Amino acid sequence: MNEAASHIEFIIGEEKRLSDIVSRAEIEPLLRSGLKLGILRAALLDEDDLPLATLGEEPSEDREKPLQKRLPIMVEGEPKGTLLLEADSSNHAFEALARLLQEALQLTVTNNLKRMLTTEVHTSIVQESYDQLVTTNRRLMESERRYRELARDLEKKVLERTTELQQAYQRMLQQEKLAAVGQLAAGMAHEINTPLGFIRSNLNSFAKYRNRMAEMLGLYRLMLDKEASPEVIKRRAEQRWKELKLDFLLEDSGVLLGQSLEGADRIATIVAQLKDFAHLDGMEQQPMDIRRELEQLLAGLAPQFPPNTRLITDLQQLPLFTCRVPLVVQAFANLIDNALKSRADGLELTVRAVQDAEQLQITISDNGCGIPAEHLPRIFEPFFTTREVGKGSGMGLTVAREAISGAGGSIEVESVAGQGTICRIRLPQGATIMTDHRSNKTTSGGDTCR
Amino acid sequence: MIEFDELHGKLVLKLVYYGPALSGKTTNLLSLHDRLQQEGRGELMLLDTTEDRTIYFDLLPFFYVAPSGFKIKLKVYTVPGQVRHDATRKAVLQRADAVVFVADSRISQMAVNAESFANLEQNLTLVGLDVEKLPLVVQFNKRDLPDLVSEAELREIWGPTGLPVFMASALQGQGVLETFQAAVEGVFKSMDQKLGLQQRYQVDQKAFVQSMVKTI
Repeated sequence: MNEAASHIEFIIGEEKRLSDIVSRAEIEPLLRSGLKLGILRAALLDEDDLPLATLGEEPSEDREKPLQKRLPIMVEGEPKGTLLLEADSSNHAFEALARLLQEALQLTVTNNLKRMLTTEVHTSIVQESYDQLVTTNRRLMESERRYRELARDLEKKVLERTTELQQAYQRMLQQEKLAAVGQLAAGMAHEINTPLGFIRSNLNSFAKYRNRMAEMLGLYRLMLDKEASPEVIKRRAEQRWKELKLDFLLEDSGVLLGQSLEGADRIATIVAQLKDFAHLDGMEQQPMDIRRELEQLLAGLAPQFPPNTRLITDLQQLPLFTCRVPLVVQAFANLIDNALKSRADGLELTVRAVQDAEQLQITISDNGCGIPAEHLPRIFEPFFTTREVGKGSGMGLTVAREAISGAGGSIEVESVAGQGTICRIRLPQGATIMTDHRSNKTTSGGDTCR
Repeated sequence: MIEFDELHGKLVLKLVYYGPALSGKTTNLLSLHDRLQQEGRGELMLLDTTEDRTIYFDLLPFFYVAPSGFKIKLKVYTVPGQVRHDATRKAVLQRADAVVFVADSRISQMAVNAESFANLEQNLTLVGLDVEKLPLVVQFNKRDLPDLVSEAELREIWGPTGLPVFMASALQGQGVLETFQAAVEGVFKSMDQKLGLQQRYQVDQKAFVQSMVKTI
């Protein structure tokens, strides 16, 4: 560094020459005032008797030899210089004048020396402080560098952990979804089994009916072959018709087939619902008809309603909401599922979908067991559950909130233990796509259309 | 050693009075100045002080010319004792040939003494002087005050170090000369070992020490 190169080192106590301490410019004015007072020649000689300053004339040969005085100038108590003065013997003030000049010069030398010494100490201190600052600065820079590295590593680690968590989270979400689909499938199986049961039983009955009808037709063909008389045919046929109860058979067949068709239609409807729910077409952002999804969801979950459930719905036709539809449906499903599990009997489940000037609001409330106040702050934490092992994953609300916030909305749960729970989902209006004329009307007017 | 001019037979040495603030370093020098005869020593130079406390240093120079013509100049310095003046202490300590450590004898000051002594050892190392080899004299000052650590106790503590220890009251002029003389002897011996003062330059130890401590 340049600074180090210009480092001046003083050794306190180092011997100084007189010429280091006083300069000619400082001495001459003093000597000059001596000349004005009648001194002929004045000089300051250094340690080696060489002049530092000389004023006045060399005495000429023709004149009387002047008086000469040599007076010591001390540096740190040691004579280091000589004040040489010459004057005419007629100068009576010479003695006093010489003393005065010596004193003045001595004072200048001593004061200069003191100033030099303090300056040197001061410079040493400043230099040392500077060196310390440089050292401190270097250390600081070093530690700053270390902290930077640490911070950078930390960021990387956090990123890694976050990625891991996100992946785990995605897996959880997928599992939750599969679990929900499984649950739904169980419900659906029951729904499908009932019509399937009576379709099978009807077909069994119809198979028996068909045998009797075949027998009747066989009798006709036999008698025609035997060329029996019409009376005989009529009598025998009439008798057999009655024995085979064909009047009832024909009538009941119509009923059986009608019922079976109806059953097949019901199954077709359920399958359609399941298909819609599972959204087998993927996770693309799509416009969502909230009312239709909620209706289908409630219909699908109906088999799981506890006994004596009263369902109150106020589902307005909301503008289409663009989101990952399956995720948002999953969120609704999880909230409704919680409500269904909140009470074993006499559940009052209210589902509303309304719209105000700024947002869409979906409310799912129940009169169930509620959430104790101390649990409320934790309900959205992953794996937080109060249900017994195996009954709840603790992911339901987490997944719900994830889905809703992912769609730009918010979810809020209000509950009083023993009285019930209200879940409010707010979705932004901005994310809606106006496609059909009805939703256009709703958004512009702010009034809902059912 | 500040300077050794072999050609002109001149040696300039440095003796430093070290110690905690207000232990009486400047008082030691003032007392020496008052009690030693003027021949062979210079004037006491006190650099700027604040409220009677040294902030740079004080200087009292001594001169000796051996019959052989060899000149020795001994510059005696004090350092500022206050902790904040550490840089100045370090600067003054550079190239010291001996140190007098002036401690305050009062019981209440023992921790301060210890801290200052540790500071001395540290600074000697920093300016490249060997603590083990440098002549060091310890003075317990202010023996005229009450609540002192007893002399017996001090000797018991310091005895094992082998360092010369003196009891003093610089204000009353007691122990000051003895301390100084021990330091001067220490300086001479150490220089004699290094340069052969007696052999090569015919400087006599006794004459030298006597010239330094000649009282009025």
